[in-house]
Amino acid sequence: EEEDEEFYNSKELPDYACKYCGIHEPNCVVMCNCCKKWFCNGRGNTSGSHIINHLVRAKHKEVTLHRDGPLGETILECYSCGVRNVFVLGFIPAKADSVVVLLCRQPCAAQNSLKDMNWDQEQWKPLIADRCFLTWLVKIPSEQEQLRARQISAQQINKLEELWKDNVDATFQDLEKPGVDEEPQQVLLRYEDGYQYQNIFGPLVKLEADYDKRLKESQTQENIEVRWDVGLNKKTIAYFTLAKTDGDMKLMHGDELRLRYVGEMHKPWAGVGHVIKVPDNYGEDIGIELKNNNGVPTDCNSNFVVDFIWKSTSFDRMQLALRKFAVDDTSVSAYIYHRLLGHDVEDVLFRCHLPKHFSAPNLPDLNRSQVYAVKHALQRPLSLIQGPPGTGKTVTSATIVYQLVKQNGGPVLVCAPSNTAVDQLTEKIHKTNLKVVRLCAKSREAIDSPVSFLALHNQIRKMEGNTEQQKLQQLKDETGELSSVDEKRYRMLKKLAEKELLEAADVICCTCVGAGDPRLTRLKFHSILIDESMQATEPECMVPVVLGVKQLILVGDHCQLGPVVMCKKAARAGLSQSLFERLVVLGIRPFRLEVQYRMHPELSRFPSNFFYEGSLQNGVCADERKLNKIDFPWPITERPMFFHVTQGQEEIAGSGTSYLNRTEASNVEKIATRFLKTGVKPEQIGVITPYEGQRAYLVQYMQYQGSLHSKLYQEIEIASVDAFQGREKDIIIMSCVRSNEHQGIGFLNDPRRLNVALTRAKYGIIIVGNPKVLSKQPLWNHLLSFYKEQKVLVEGPLTNLKESLIQFAKPKKLLN
Amino acid sequence: EAEPVSESFAIPSAPKRVDCPEDDEFLSALDKMVSENIQERMREPVKAGNIDISVPVVLKSNVKKSYEQLQDTEENDNNKIGFVLMVRKGNKQQYKAFEADKDSELAQNLRDQELAQKEE
Ligand SMILES: [Zn+2]
Ligand SMILES: [Zn+2]
Ligand SMILES: [Zn+2]
Repeated sequence: EEEDEEFYNSKELPDYACKYCGIHEPNCVVMCNCCKKWFCNGRGNTSGSHIINHLVRAKHKEVTLHRDGPLGETILECYSCGVRNVFVLGFIPAKADSVVVLLCRQPCAAQNSLKDMNWDQEQWKPLIADRCFLTWLVKIPSEQEQLRARQISAQQINKLEELWKDNVDATFQDLEKPGVDEEPQQVLLRYEDGYQYQNIFGPLVKLEADYDKRLKESQTQENIEVRWDVGLNKKTIAYFTLAKTDGDMKLMHGDELRLRYVGEMHKPWAGVGHVIKVPDNYGEDIGIELKNNNGVPTDCNSNFVVDFIWKSTSFDRMQLALRKFAVDDTSVSAYIYHRLLGHDVEDVLFRCHLPKHFSAPNLPDLNRSQVYAVKHALQRPLSLIQGPPGTGKTVTSATIVYQLVKQNGGPVLVCAPSNTAVDQLTEKIHKTNLKVVRLCAKSREAIDSPVSFLALHNQIRKMEGNTEQQKLQQLKDETGELSSVDEKRYRMLKKLAEKELLEAADVICCTCVGAGDPRLTRLKFHSILIDESMQATEPECMVPVVLGVKQLILVGDHCQLGPVVMCKKAARAGLSQSLFERLVVLGIRPFRLEVQYRMHPELSRFPSNFFYEGSLQNGVCADERKLNKIDFPWPITERPMFFHVTQGQEEIAGSGTSYLNRTEASNVEKIATRFLKTGVKPEQIGVITPYEGQRAYLVQYMQYQGSLHSKLYQEIEIASVDAFQGREKDIIIMSCVRSNEHQGIGFLNDPRRLNVALTRAKYGIIIVGNPKVLSKQPLWNHLLSFYKEQKVLVEGPLTNLKESLIQFAKPKKLLN
Repeated sequence: EAEPVSESFAIPSAPKRVDCPEDDEFLSALDKMVSENIQERMREPVKAGNIDISVPVVLKSNVKKSYEQLQDTEENDNNKIGFVLMVRKGNKQQYKAFEADKDSELAQNLRDQELAQKEE
């Protein structure tokens, strides 16, 4: 199946593409006979066409026309003497006949004998006029085609010709290849053309891929104890725990691991499986479902080795998207192309019938700014919708999608960087009664979600009139395997069914990287909406975009977390800036949703003032966000928030890199217990902590030291800020951890991360940390001052909280 | 269906020539190349071939002859005129049909010739 993907995606420039600019219209290109390279007859930003530029600079003189050009495959030569030097060739029309011959200027066209015949010698004209070939020999690419091609300059042409003298196979890319140790090129705000765009982003994606590969492949762990189980689908499941790897490595559902037996109780064995369980509140063990049940040494439990398998799929898809954007002019409309590159393009509006009512069936009515956002998006080929926390971004997106389908028909492609975000949006869109298909990666088909029933692989099982396929499926489910003939038939039927379902869909939902799935490559999408787009890197966003977009809606919030880029070099060069953000910097004004429905008005005050210029209005009042019958010692009754001053020491966690703070953990446990005792349910509470070390410690501490039943604590979600993005909890407790006087405060000083952390809670928020250290950071200094002003900076036991008189440090610039 | 009103007007219309020394060098190199190559041909005693390049009768009757006739036919694109390029493969003649824009020099020339003939 992976070969499949390569096959579908082998979209490269044909060999007859202009070696300078990439134009590959057969009508418009000529081959140089001498070096066999093709060039177009367009001049781009130089004063001669590319083929003429080449012939002159390389001192080559002979050419052949393209097989599919106006004259078919033709070597240009003198009809009479056969000379092929295009610089002396011309043509003569027959007198009063629409017949033409090519003749050289000397001597054939000057020959006396011609005079007696039908040919009008006076009419001899050269084949090269105005520094291009005559258009009846080779067409000139249209202005639009030339604009869409690589904007190669005369200097670059010169350099390239120089390169060819040493290496005939050199390409444009070689012109700007950095040396091995050099820093990669920085991302730009504006790009000349898709080729430059690819040249800058391609190496960054490569850097990230290499980093990821090294990281994954260095994670092999030995002496693993395995516990075996069998899943409902009869597949073997292996459970085991890994030593904490913290740092960057994060195991995800659907990742692949290889398990190997190296003991002596059984012959050597290795098997690959998908991760179906990751460490969480319920246990630190990892579960993988093996792809193959054959020969699994289920009677052995120790002496196993675990390897991480690196997969290049997502990176390959990004590279492919970048290439497609450069070379394929059907990948995006001309307008979107120039807009994304930051060219000077005026705003345009679609002439479309706006609906009378902007709401969609079974979704909540929209407020004013949401209606405007929908209207804004429907009328424009490119729009940015900014949804601050709790402003109904998902409902607005779902409504836009509904109206797009009503207006243009389907399919509309809906993407987001994470599976969770895709699922949320899929659920909402499904409510409007549109035909929705959720496309999942094959490695994730076994993972359950609230929209599993909309997943393509599940819809196929329920398709009507598909009895043969269903029978084979049943057989496969029961026996685990099919005969090769049946398997072939099964796959063929499945492919057909997939195609049918996808073609009939109004909306197809998948992750950004999922949009590179071979099952979608044959489809074209006029309209594409990308939610949480600020969390995707640009190349990731391009994966769906190049599927033919003419109308692109990016939903996001550049004031919340950006994409995660692990390779520092790539991040420094700008890979961690999202497309959404760049477009904002380019001056495209995002349309902002203004009414938040999540937070208690007191909780939204600081984020609104600090991150959204005070523009965030409250769609809920204090009464609607009151924890009724919950007796909790808020220092100020009408402000369900406080900062709990905790001056504990931080330590380096077991793994060596990640921090933990025992005092903070104990305070978090006391607060959580207090809430639980007064009747708050554990799933209403979320604990945010920036470090993996602290997360693992908190899980343990609460379960073993908490005064209530450990099951209760298990259901409290404890995770990083990033895991909470896009979600909400009734109550948030935040453990800041970093209190070391001598160091910075780690990644807590990213304003976007702080914004996300502060805007998850609906009813109440409690921050546990050390103000002395935190206040050194300007951002935190603001936050602490705000809490102090509000008289909610407190210390002491929960039963006796007192306003803290602690002095803040002067904020200074800290190096992270 | 939503149609872009003025998308194409919003986009810049064509790449503009960028003035630079490399381009100027190209301009003079081209001029030099053309004149040198022609002069070379004049110096060299190249014999013109004794090839018959008369338009064969078959072709004459097949090719729509007059400019007016060509203009009248509906099958043609309104702005195009059909022509035939005569090429030689060894001793064999080959004919390649092509179209030229009506306002091209080639078409204009054909029309002028006919006008001139009529006047005669
Ligand atoms: Zn050449
Ligand atoms: Zn070109
Ligand atoms: Zn000749």
